[in-house]
Amino acid sequence: MADLTPLELHQMTQDLLHNSASDRPLISDSALLSVLREEYERGSGSFVQQIDFLSNIRGFTHIRRTRGDGDCFYRSLAFAWISRLLHSKNQTLDVAKAISLLDSTLPTLEAAGFEKMVYEDFHDVIVSIVRQIVVPEPSGATLSPALLLEAFQDAEVSNCIVVFLRFLTSATIKTDPDSYLPYLFDPETGDDISLTDFCNRHVEACGKEADNVQISALTRALKLNIEIAYLDGHSADGSVNFVPFQNLPESDMPNPPILLYRPGHYDILEKQP
Amino acid sequence: MAMESARMRRVKKEILDCRNDKSSNISIDMIDDNPYHLKGTFFGPEETAYEGGRYDVDIVVPESYPFQPVKMKFITKVYHPNISSASGAICLDILKDAWSPVLTLKSTLISLQSLLCSPEPNDPQDAEVAKHYMTSRESFNETARYWAQIYAGAPGKGGGDASAAGKEKEAAGLSESSRAIALAGLSEEHVNKFVDMGFGFSKVVETLSRLNYRGDNAKNITNERVVEKLLE
Repeated sequence: MADLTPLELHQMTQDLLHNSASDRPLISDSALLSVLREEYERGSGSFVQQIDFLSNIRGFTHIRRTRGDGDCFYRSLAFAWISRLLHSKNQTLDVAKAISLLDSTLPTLEAAGFEKMVYEDFHDVIVSIVRQIVVPEPSGATLSPALLLEAFQDAEVSNCIVVFLRFLTSATIKTDPDSYLPYLFDPETGDDISLTDFCNRHVEACGKEADNVQISALTRALKLNIEIAYLDGHSADGSVNFVPFQNLPESDMPNPPILLYRPGHYDILEKQP
Repeated sequence: MAMESARMRRVKKEILDCRNDKSSNISIDMIDDNPYHLKGTFFGPEETAYEGGRYDVDIVVPESYPFQPVKMKFITKVYHPNISSASGAICLDILKDAWSPVLTLKSTLISLQSLLCSPEPNDPQDAEVAKHYMTSRESFNETARYWAQIYAGAPGKGGGDASAAGKEKEAAGLSESSRAIALAGLSEEHVNKFVDMGFGFSKVVETLSRLNYRGDNAKNITNERVVEKLLE
């Protein structure tokens, strides 16, 4: 099984994702990495080897899955980011910083041509979720891990957050074209593409996958470090390549969120005690 | 989060925004006081066959708006390659997979307005109209203009008399058959040629339309082929 062609591997991954795409929650509770391993046991040896690397060598214990609907990068990142704020030791300060960062993005959105009418609702939703970490809702509850999960499983709240991050990504690219233009291509055809077309069709449109350009723009806008672990079945020695997206000195943001990439899909990797 | 739905908040704002914006000349009104079933109206763009016409669009705001696209179709009949001449259905990427929540009802209606300026015959909604557009532009424009006059209230050829009485006079000037010929984008001469051979009028109009027997393209179609089709 280790010698499946790349195309077959890709097909297998797509099938696994597709089978569970529509009935899977937008984001799930954490599952043991061994559950993911089992899914590949009948398939590809090289995937199993890489999953063992993640657990045995790198110490990851859980995977938190997102629905394979094309919004998975944005949803995973948002969840990992807010979850980190929720577990912060300096909660009050970190939440205040996060809210002022979200507010400070509005002039960038305006500069990129987004109408207030269009972005303000999405902005309100993400800010109110972050604020709820420290300020109780009228009903009395501050955000708990369970309430965070519930919010992200609610299509409306979850999609508002995804769309806000899409707009922020697009605005970051549009207001600094020189940094991104050399790396743009049409992900469907591989051809050259204008910055406006790229942002309109592949960033702002729901359900369109994120690639390196979107990831680096968004992590830059949120001033975040993250790493992406590439589980692709291509490793000769069974190791997994971790690619950092770094926007802060490592000391300012140790143990960054880790997203797990399988061709066409992002989930979150976790280490639980 | 017990809030008004994203859809309700957005639609309310959009209707208000459109009402306050007098410069775009686009209006959005509720149908039967239902904020999710609306009628958008705009004018045909200048220097096109649609100039002076007033176009009504039926708008349905789906439950998952603004994450999913609005559903739009023309209420006013339009002769255009990307709009069904029968149902008003529209072929436009932003109403399908290129939709993004950045788009609003107003900006989508503006996109429809610019679709009238720049048809995309390679991705047609109405294949027959697209054929007409591709093969004989002049005749196509004439037909589109005629539809604009008849269905969208655009002023007539002379351009002078746009009053209701004037239009009635003009319409009255045309017999029912001439009107049917003009709406199909055909010429009286061509239709009469086959009617004179003894074929029924509506059969001739239907067949010539299907064969795109229009303008210069008529020269590419032999009489034998037309007759063969008429006999089918």
